[in-house]
Amino acid sequence: MIDMLEAVRLVAAPDVLIAILASAIYGLVVGSLPGLSATMATALLVPVTFWLSPIAAVATIITASAMAIFSGDIPGCLLRIPGTPASAAYTDEAYAMTRKGQAEMALGAGLWFSAIGGIVGTLSLVLMAPLLAEMALSFSTFEYFWLAFLGLMCATLVARSSPIKAIASMLLGLLISCIGMENPAGTPRFTFGLTDLLGGIEPIPALVGVFAVSEVMRAMITPEPPPLPRRKFGSILANQWKLTKKYQWPMWRGNFIGIIIGVLPGAGADMAAWVSYAMSKKFSKEPEKFGTGHPEGLVEAGASNNASLASGWVPSLLFGIPGDTITAIAIGVLYMKGLNPGPTLFTERASSMYALYLIFIIANIIMIPLGIVMIRIAATVLRAPRASVMPVILLLCAVGAFATGSNLFSVLMVAAFGCIGFVMERNGYPVAALVLGIVMGTMVEQNFITSLIKSDGDILPFFERPVSGVLAAMTFGALLWPVGIWIWNRTQGRRLPAGTAAR
Amino acid sequence: MQLSDRVTGAVLMALGAAAALAGSRLPAVPGQDVGPAAFPLLIGSGLIICGALIAFGIGRSFEVPEEPAAGPGPWRLGGLRALVPPVLLLFYVLASERLGFLITGAIMVFIATLALGARPRLAVPLAVVAPLLVHLAFYKLLRVPLPAGLLSAPW
Amino acid sequence: MNTLSRRTLLGSGAALLAAPALAQAKWPARPVQMLCPWAAGGGTDAVVRIVAALLEKELGQPFNVVNRTGGSGVVGHAAIAQSAPDGYTLGIITSEIGMLHWQGLTEVTYRNYTPLGLMNNDPPGIQVNVSSPYKTAKDLAEAIKASAPGKMKASGTGQGGIWHLALAGWLNAMGLKADHVRWVPSNGAAPAMQDLAANGLDFTTCSVPEARAMLDAGRCRSLAVMAPERLSVFPNIPTLKEAMGIDFTTGAWRVICGPAGLPAEVKAVVEPALARIYKSKDYQDFLAARGFGGMYADAAGTEKYMAEADRAFGEAMKAAGLAKA
Repeated sequence: MIDMLEAVRLVAAPDVLIAILASAIYGLVVGSLPGLSATMATALLVPVTFWLSPIAAVATIITASAMAIFSGDIPGCLLRIPGTPASAAYTDEAYAMTRKGQAEMALGAGLWFSAIGGIVGTLSLVLMAPLLAEMALSFSTFEYFWLAFLGLMCATLVARSSPIKAIASMLLGLLISCIGMENPAGTPRFTFGLTDLLGGIEPIPALVGVFAVSEVMRAMITPEPPPLPRRKFGSILANQWKLTKKYQWPMWRGNFIGIIIGVLPGAGADMAAWVSYAMSKKFSKEPEKFGTGHPEGLVEAGASNNASLASGWVPSLLFGIPGDTITAIAIGVLYMKGLNPGPTLFTERASSMYALYLIFIIANIIMIPLGIVMIRIAATVLRAPRASVMPVILLLCAVGAFATGSNLFSVLMVAAFGCIGFVMERNGYPVAALVLGIVMGTMVEQNFITSLIKSDGDILPFFERPVSGVLAAMTFGALLWPVGIWIWNRTQGRRLPAGTAAR
Repeated sequence: MQLSDRVTGAVLMALGAAAALAGSRLPAVPGQDVGPAAFPLLIGSGLIICGALIAFGIGRSFEVPEEPAAGPGPWRLGGLRALVPPVLLLFYVLASERLGFLITGAIMVFIATLALGARPRLAVPLAVVAPLLVHLAFYKLLRVPLPAGLLSAPW
Repeated sequence: MNTLSRRTLLGSGAALLAAPALAQAKWPARPVQMLCPWAAGGGTDAVVRIVAALLEKELGQPFNVVNRTGGSGVVGHAAIAQSAPDGYTLGIITSEIGMLHWQGLTEVTYRNYTPLGLMNNDPPGIQVNVSSPYKTAKDLAEAIKASAPGKMKASGTGQGGIWHLALAGWLNAMGLKADHVRWVPSNGAAPAMQDLAANGLDFTTCSVPEARAMLDAGRCRSLAVMAPERLSVFPNIPTLKEAMGIDFTTGAWRVICGPAGLPAEVKAVVEPALARIYKSKDYQDFLAARGFGGMYADAAGTEKYMAEADRAFGEAMKAAGLAKA
């Protein structure tokens, strides 16, 4: 109790409150700019945190990352350019809602369910950290392999186009992730003798390229789309309560999946959003509406990625193992400020821990009013002429790619991926699946190869361990399910409502 | 760049074959049985299969029927215009160190705005204001070392 | 190599020309850029940031840290070596500079820099799961000797990384082949520690500070540290020599440096400043808080140290078959 009061005192310090507010605005703005990502927002904060008190420093990271993950939905919804890989899963859905004139509902859902997900995730951190940590520690490379594999399969579920093309796009992403020497063998692969390729291709330049640059490219050759009917931008939160009640079950499922995936190091918010969106479609009563501007998937995935963000701090705080790229940076800041991760943080410095919890809660609460303002400002781009928006996006792509590593080569990558994304899009290959492949590639290969090394080339251990056995069964179930349905439909000659067998 | 499924399928098959071939040539790592070749081989084979399925239209029967909506919109002034953004990014890579961020950014924005069909009345002020704002935010607030080049910012 | 040596020559020439100008305007007359080849938030980033902040305090000009990442550190290391030797671009280099060129990944070696000071050195430890039957380094060593080659598994970093070399060196010192224990490449120390805790490995050879959170959590034990003396932050962990009589030491070090041909004036200012910084309470507190191993050497000492490390890494890599022929 004394610790709790002390925590309140720590957080109520003026410098902490100012840090929270400033980094909230910063996170919202950076996350909402196309071409800039949540990870970049966090990385650029590190020098700033150097000058802050420990609690204020951590507060900036927590707040900015939560805000940036939410506001990554904004450009995705308005311009079809996701701000973070986590938003890529449901960008098409949100954009379809905007075209239907429901931008406020789509963005409101992103905001409302992000906040709920963030708070539920925080509660899981507060109440179940040791339990969740125990779970994370029972995962060895075998389990991670299956998990990553399951994540990859979401590509086919999410895409509206041909599943074969989705798989092809994802494989292309995996192939791209092979580039460089960051592979288990430490051998340079497909680098064509370029030093800059040794470190591989980061997901962010790829994401920025295939979505943002290719969108600018499309704008160059298509006539300006008919302006959306001029009307007042409606209330943002008005319908959210209705959605909450209607989609209560998907929301909780999203929170739950987000927490679980967030806790597992290496997976993080990106994967949580994908898995949740795919789950939502799979178990929905009206899956045929997905992709046409249906809020159900947004509810689940929006809750999921923010829930994972909070629970991703569990392994970071307890064992110093980063849950994702953002917490990897956060751990550095924790160390720098003498808040060394480890169980002692929870016992000896309990007041600091409570302060972190409080900051999480505050961040997710102020996200709502600040997010509404941000959405209202951002929505003006819907009215701005395209010729004034797209060039600025292009400039931001260049700067955003350059910013994290001060490396011009990333800008070149962005340009190359713009062309790749443009061609793929024109020919019905979903670019989101490509991004998923690039994001997950290293994790899949790393865990596959190291598992094989550990088992001396034996396949059996992939199924032997209890958790990996369950995950393997789930994977095969998910793999064989659509094939089974397809065969059944064929033999029965029955027509699916969607008309799959009609051809 | 609308290509038939046959073409894209064939390209994927070729890419998969190249990846598998190049992958299999990677040297084994001393002390390890599973080397760097395994994963590219696996993915390459996968790409070959997918490419074949696409090229021969087998995957079609899985396909969820797509509403004919979207489609390729009417093209304006040829597809080459689509190359303006990547070329401008290339220009940024080559020129920003020498010309500096402000000038490079201004040229980029100016050309892109014109290419989108706007009048100079919009392009000129946008080309002046946008790079300045971006520079202020990134250089001043976030300390990203944007090159100064010929024209350094007033701050 | 050709272009590089030409650059170096040009650089030293430029330095000679620049020397009188510098004598007039005392260095540093404007902000100095500090390049870091690794990403923000990592250990090297933390070291260079604290050093930059303290240099700023000492010398009265801003020292701005720029993370120049990419290419597994190759890009940033090369960027420091190829920057203009005018004193306004300095940087931090890490032990990888003694390894990358043996793998044929870069032509830059420690000779392409003007060392200014060795600021830290983290020796590898030997960690096992808390439920492991091995209580001492000796137990583990005997189990390794008794095991079939490739049966036991260890990890800590990627293939050919510094902790892999530590394992190879330790095995060599025991008279075993470098691949007697199978190396499981991991994406840095954290996933390796996680896998150790999940009972997926026999032991890890990452540095003790990297294992610290798991040690504190009681998930693993550190059996020994491959250093000449015990670490001040972890006084309970014996050195390898104390634990089993084998005197093998190595470590991941971090050096502040400039490009080759740095003007003597600059060196004369920075070198003593770094010595003062190393002794300062701020820096020592920082090392203690992070559990980093302290180690200091002046410019000449650093040069000698890097040359020796370069040779030792080369030997270990050749023994492990990691060096390019």
